[in-house]
Formats: sequence, structure tokens, C-alpha cells
Amino acid sequence: MSELLEIKTLTVRYRTKDGFVTALDSVSLGIGENEMLALVGESGCGKTTLGLSIVSLLPPASSEVVNGSVTYKGTNLLMLEEKRKKAYRGTEIAMIFQEPLTCLNPVYRVGDQMAEAIMVKRARKEGRGQMHGTVMQRVYDRRAPVDTRFLRRGHGLPAQLRDEIVEWLTLVRIGDPEQVLNRYPFELSGGMTQRVMIAMALSEEPSLLIADEPTTALDVTTQAQVLKLMAELMKRVNTSILLITHDLAVASQVADRVMVMYAGELAEVGEVHQLFAEPLHPYTKGLLGCVPTGTKDDSELAPIPGSIPDLRQLPLGCNFAPRCPYVFERCRSDRPHLFPREGGREVACFLYDE
Amino acid sequence: MRSVLAIMGRNREAKIGAVIVAVFLLTAIVVGIATALGITVTPYGPVQTDTGPKLAPPSLSHLFGTDLLGRDVFSRIIVATPNDVSVGVGVVAFALVVGLIIGSIAALKGGLLDELLMRFTDVVFALPALVIAMVIAVALGPGVTNMMIALMIIWWPPHARLARGEALKVSHQNYIRSARLAGMGTWKIIFRHVIPNIFVIMLVYATLDVGTVILVYAGLSYLGLSVKPPAPDWGEMVSAFQDYLITAPWLPIVPGLIISIGVIGFSLLGDGIRDALEAG
Amino acid sequence: MRASSMMSDSPLLRTVDLRKYFPVRKGLSLLSKTAQKYVRAVDGISITIPEGKTLGVVGESGCGKTTLALTIAMLTPPTGGEVYFDGKRIDSGRVDHKSVYREMQVVFQDPDSSLDPHMTIGESIGEPLSGLLGYGGAEVRTALEESLVAVGMPVGFANRLPRQLSGGQKQRAAIARAISLHPKLVILDEPTSALDASVQAQILKLLVELQRKFQLSYLLITHNIAVAKYLSDTLAVMYAGKIVERGPTLSVIQRPRHPYTIALINSAPVPDPWKRNLLQMEIRGEVPSAINPPPGCRFNPRCPYAEGVCSVEDPPLLEIEASREVACHFVDKTAVQVKSE
Repeated sequence: MSELLEIKTLTVRYRTKDGFVTALDSVSLGIGENEMLALVGESGCGKTTLGLSIVSLLPPASSEVVNGSVTYKGTNLLMLEEKRKKAYRGTEIAMIFQEPLTCLNPVYRVGDQMAEAIMVKRARKEGRGQMHGTVMQRVYDRRAPVDTRFLRRGHGLPAQLRDEIVEWLTLVRIGDPEQVLNRYPFELSGGMTQRVMIAMALSEEPSLLIADEPTTALDVTTQAQVLKLMAELMKRVNTSILLITHDLAVASQVADRVMVMYAGELAEVGEVHQLFAEPLHPYTKGLLGCVPTGTKDDSELAPIPGSIPDLRQLPLGCNFAPRCPYVFERCRSDRPHLFPREGGREVACFLYDE
Repeated sequence: MRSVLAIMGRNREAKIGAVIVAVFLLTAIVVGIATALGITVTPYGPVQTDTGPKLAPPSLSHLFGTDLLGRDVFSRIIVATPNDVSVGVGVVAFALVVGLIIGSIAALKGGLLDELLMRFTDVVFALPALVIAMVIAVALGPGVTNMMIALMIIWWPPHARLARGEALKVSHQNYIRSARLAGMGTWKIIFRHVIPNIFVIMLVYATLDVGTVILVYAGLSYLGLSVKPPAPDWGEMVSAFQDYLITAPWLPIVPGLIISIGVIGFSLLGDGIRDALEAG
Repeated sequence: MRASSMMSDSPLLRTVDLRKYFPVRKGLSLLSKTAQKYVRAVDGISITIPEGKTLGVVGESGCGKTTLALTIAMLTPPTGGEVYFDGKRIDSGRVDHKSVYREMQVVFQDPDSSLDPHMTIGESIGEPLSGLLGYGGAEVRTALEESLVAVGMPVGFANRLPRQLSGGQKQRAAIARAISLHPKLVILDEPTSALDASVQAQILKLLVELQRKFQLSYLLITHNIAVAKYLSDTLAVMYAGKIVERGPTLSVIQRPRHPYTIALINSAPVPDPWKRNLLQMEIRGEVPSAINPPPGCRFNPRCPYAEGVCSVEDPPLLEIEASREVACHFVDKTAVQVKSE
């Protein structure tokens, strides 16, 4: 299977008042076509940083890509200049976030925002080879190939664009899409807003959708609906999804492959059934033992002792060593890298170093 | 607190502001004590005439020159410092305390009391500073203290509004509920939990506000509602010497400049505290 | 040591048809002719909690569960109904709050807002000790140390400020404050929702230990089925201000009978890729707004089994078998929906 996206030894750090903090330490992974890859980890593990790095949306003033490459369909995105990077954002690689309401402008109608997003993406696609004029100039240009007058006050959406938007809203299972078009973001529920975001993200049929905790802020039943929708749309639109989540259970329900991260590094990678049947990395085992599945009377919760390390003061050797029940000498002095195992599995643990 | 000071230490504007404010405060205190004790700390007495040639430009012996009666402008400026500074700090301190109390009670008690307090605040807020000052000047006579009283009467509403807004935010925090669950009454909650948590924001606003009060007071004294000559006062000096702008420019410019520096100093300090809070 | 409650077979906490309505603000209220609308956050809830047991109340956002907790804790006055705690009525305005709070405490969801940022956690934990028990300095210190040890925190942490602690540590401090007076009932409002998985496990285990050690009763409010299953003895499912199903935890989870409960349990992700129920369940619509609900069953618009009477009459909560209650006109239809474990 050809790799759609390949990340090699990506190292990213943030500038803080206490010096540099390494958020990602030499992370390497690959995403294939048409697969749902779950990136699982607790807070501070670097999963959000990873997602933002792919689309180069890290805060420029305080972050720094120290090393590594992000190769998408053969092109290293990190080496491109900003104008070229923009050509990929939204068109080839789209992203949705945790709080959908903060992603929409509260003073514009939903339909207008979707239309604008579509227009901008089209302009980017067309202008990928050319440098002149900014994207926004081209979108609002009176001589633009598509009539964008609707973006100015008082004009309605052109029929063709309107139909397209209604089609997308129907695809994301929004009942009564004509109504929703005319609504403002605050009139929609969390679940509906996230669906609108998914529609906007998929409207130009990107090959990769990065979803950063897309359902964490939603109710349980809404979460199930949205996850189910994403899994179905993946096949319809021929997209891969990088699902970033802290919830192992969510990952097990929808993902094809799972990657577990800890303190800025990848701990384990594997196909979902294999990983849950036989977790290799002690952290993965610990994480699975943390999820309550039974009652207090019939099951034992085995929390991982200790706590997540301070990224500013990482231990020598393996990051997980201080909390690991299987720790031995070597773990405290050397850093394990990902050791390959059969079936495409990888573990960053000396227990598996042959 | 320590981290706030540390961050401010790196902010150049904040340091400048702090220095200016310190100089003004120190001068005001020193002059105040000296006047009470009857000592003169300035090169010449503030009302002493013929200290040198009349209308002399700034020189080594007369740093800011002399006025038409031969009085040393520098000495007069120094001696006038407690007026503006005390009014500025005094009015704002009063507004801060009154605002804190009224705002906190309104936010925590809510209901009818909240409505009454806020409508009362609105009414006072509508009173124009100038008119009140003139009424006081007529009723109690002109002077620094009376102008301070006039401003105190009408200056607190924005502080009360700010306090109420911040107190409302705090009141929804779970530690306030926990305090109730610990048996604390509303008053105790206000003093132990609300005020300490809104105090710093109020302080920032207050510091920024001192500059505005100084300006308003200078305006009132410019209009002659404060001290009467020969007592020195910055605003009054600007008014008295505005005709000399061409012939002896230092006379109206210097007091005006001093007022501006004072206002800028407090503003920079207030900005510095606020930036430090946002960063920290 | 406390004396146990006089009548050992009467529950520690009992509510009878408890209601809490919030008036919706009308714009120009004096000029408007429309009737006052209410958000019926808690609309006739009757629950009981025996000593030493946990009642879990599960529901999604807007169902009223947090309002229920706040009303029981006397932090907001009820609109109707009765609340009995330890045999005495506590819902009227003339109750001695302090005496109730000596036996009833609350742990809130957000560890960041539970502790005053300007006070050390020792001072925060000591607040109920001095406020409700009148303890002086030395007594406070002893009790404080005892509770810190009980929640597994180093005693030296008493001098720390909240911002020097992690989320899990802050939540432990909040728990320490709640149990420091050895209350009989602790209301837990989403105690672990804001925490990481490994920390959540630690706190859950701690809560079970504390319950066994101090014979605490818990009222657990949560949207997380797995947490509710782990901690609760009895489970009540809440929807739009009402309880739609109730029974022993395992019974409700393994054999849910109300259509909403079925949907809720099927939506809850389990860490098992061979049981992908998430992708199979079907539920339409969104959680409803609680303002002036339409007549009939609140779940009716989304229910796959709804028929005529469902939009006319609100089904009462009835016992369908021993200690199992369901509020549904067509509960027979769900008899075959058994969720295998």
C-alpha cells in the first residue's frame, strides 16, 4: 500500500519562559490511502502538535520544527514556502477541531461561510501553479471565474453553489439543509456544527482529513452519530482520516490502525484488533487497564502509578521508565526507538529489541 | 506577586512608568511632610517673589525659569506636586474601595439589591464632573480638598461596574459554592474569596485611572476652582500663564508638561501590570 | 466514630417529586403578553439513596443532572417537591444549612474552579473544618493531615497553591476537603470528566476505597456510562429533566428497557474492536431543549418505537419487575433488546 503521508523523524519544540520544550521527539509514521488511523494519547503527549505540524499551523512565534519531514504524495510539505503550503490546506489536507463553535464566524450565516470556504479552496486549487495575486484577491476579484458577488452583503447564493452546499449538508445527515443554510452558528447544536465543519472540510474532497478530538466536546449519543458519519464518509469521498483522540475506546470502535503516543514519542503502532488483543508496550497495557469496564465489585481498576512526566524535565532513557512495571537497567540509560514486529506492528520498548 | 514584578522588570515601558510614579509619589510625600513641619525643601520659597530677574528663561539657578513676579517656577512646581498627586491617588483609592464593595454585594446578592445598586450607580455615573465640581466650589468653597470631594462623589461608578462584572465571574466558580458548603455566609465569602480574586484587575484599572483624575483635576484648577493664587498648582499655573506662550513659553508649557508626564507615568505603570498579568 | 442513622431501613437521602424550573427571560417583560416560559431542568424527580451505597445518575448535557445535584445540595432553592436527608426535610428556606453540610458535601467537576487560586490547598481543605465544626488551628491541622493521607497526597502539599498542582492532584484536594468532616453523603458531579485516563482510574479507585473505609454514600452525576457502571450500585437514567429508567446497575446496563437507555448504552464506546456497536446503533435527532417541552413523552420525537399515545401522554415511571422501573408506554417492545456482555 503506497503511503499517502509519511512523517520521518519529526522533531518539534516550543519556546517557553523556561526554555525549550520538545513536544515531538523524532516521530515517524505513515498513513495509507483510505484508512482511519487513530492517534491516541493523554494530555501533553504531542498528538495535537503532530496534527498541526502536518498542515503547518503551529504558532510561528513560539514553535520550531527542529528536524524531520512530512511527505505528502511525494512532496515534503515542510520545505515548501508558505504560498505553496496554502495550496494544500483545505484542498488536499483538511482539518477539523474540538470546539466546532469556535471555528465558525458568529456574524455570518452558515451557508455563506460554507460557500466562501468552497470558493477559497477552488481558487487555491486553480492557483497552485501560479504565484500572482493572493487567494483572497482572486476570490473577491470582480473578474473572477466564478461569481463571488454573493459574498458581499445583500446578495444571495448563486443557484449552483447553493445546490452544492445543500448536497453536502444532506451528505452529513443534516435534516432540513435549506433551513440550516440560513442559520447562524449559534443557532445550531454542537453536533450539527461539527457536521457542518465536516462538510466544509470534505467539500473539495481532500485525500486526508485530520480530526483533532472532533467528538470530545459532544454528548455520547451525538459522538456516536458523528463518528459513524466519519467512518461512512471516508469510503464515499475516498479520504483517509487521522483521528486524534485521548479516548482508547473511541479508537477501538472506528480505527483501522492505532498509534499510541507518550510524552512526545510514539510508543506503539499496530492494527487495531492486534493491538487490543495483545498490547505490547507497557504503557499501552497500562492504558487499557485504566479504562473501567466492569463494576467496583467485579473488576479491578489498575491505574498506572505515578504521573505524566513534565516535558521540561524528561528522564534519561525511556520516558516511561519511572512508571514501568517491567523496567530494567537499560531502560534508564538508553532511549528506545520503534522496533518493528510482524504484521506492521512497531513498539518502542527494549523488551522487544532482538 | 513576585512573578508579576519579574515580568514587569523586563518590560521597559513599565519600568519607565514605575520610575515616574515613584518620583511623583516621593516628591508629594516629602513636600507634604515638609510643609507640615514648616521646612522648605525647594531652592526658593514657592511664593517668594523677586528671587531673580522677572520672566527669566530656564537657567542653572532657576531650572524652569521665573514668572512675572520673579518667583522660581521649579520651586512652585515641586511644591504643587501634592495637590495633583493626592487628588489623583485619593479619588481613585476611594473609588476602588467603594466600587469593590458595591460591585461585590450586587454580584453576590443579586436580585432586587443588585438592581437597586446598579441603578443607583447609573444615576451617579450620569452626573457631569464639571457641574458637580462647580456646585461644590460654590457650596463649600474652592480648594484642593473640596475638589477631591467633588471628584470622589462621582468617580466610583465605573469601578463598581467593573467590580460587579469580575465578581460575577468569580461567583460562578465552584470554590464559591464550596465556601457555602463550608458554612460561610455571603459577607465572609465576599471578603475572603471574591475581593482577593478581583483585586488585581481592579488595581490595574485604578492605576490607569489615576492619570485621568489628574487630568480632570488639572482642568478644574485651570478653571480656578481649586487653589487661589499665590498658592501654586499646576493647572492654575497653565491658566495664569497661557498668554505668555509666545513671550515666555516655559511658563505655561512646563506645568502642562509635568501634568502630561504624570499621566503617562501612571498609564505606563497600569499597562505594565496588566501585561504582566496577561503573560503570567 | 458516628452513630449510624436511627432507622437503618430508611434511606439517607430521599427526594419526592423534586422540581426546579428556571424562568426564561422575556425581553421587554412588562410589555410582553406571551406567557412566562420555563426551563424545566428538574421535572419531578424522586430518588432514594441508602447508606453506604452509590446512586449513579447518567444523562447527557441539558438533561438536568447537575441542576439536580445543586438543588439537593441546597445551593439553589427547589421550585417544588421535597428533599429528605437523614430523616429531616431540607428543602425549605428555614433549614440550618451548617448542620446539613456537616453530613453532606460536594465534589465538583472542574478541579480548576474548585479551589480558590489565592489560597493554599491546606486553607481550602480547612475551610469546612473551621466553618462547620468550629475547629481551631491545631485541630484543623490534624484533621487536614488525616484527609490528605486518606486521599494519598503527601502532607507537605498543604502549603501549595492550586497552580502548583496537576489536575489529578487538585481533584484529590477537592475530595480531601469533601471528606475531611466524615460526611454521610458526598455528591460527585462529574468527578473525573476533566481528567486524563490514567488519572481518572486513580481517582475512581480512590473513591471506592474511601466509600468502603468511611461508609460513604455517593450521588454520582456523570455522562460516562463506564464510570457510572464502575461506581454505582443503582443506576438512574435521566432525560430532559425526568428519570426514564432505574434499577441495579448491571441489570440496567445489560438489559436496558427504555429506548433512550438502549441508545445511550449502545453509544458508549467500549475498548473492544470486536464489539463495534457504535457503528450499528441508530439514533435520530439531538438532545432536546428543556424549554416548555411538548406534550407526551419527551423522547418521543427520537424514539424508534413511538406510536400515537407517546405524543399525548407522558409515561409514568413504573416498576416492570423487581426493583426495575421504566417510563415507557411500549416497554414490551424492548424486551428482546438484550445487550450481551
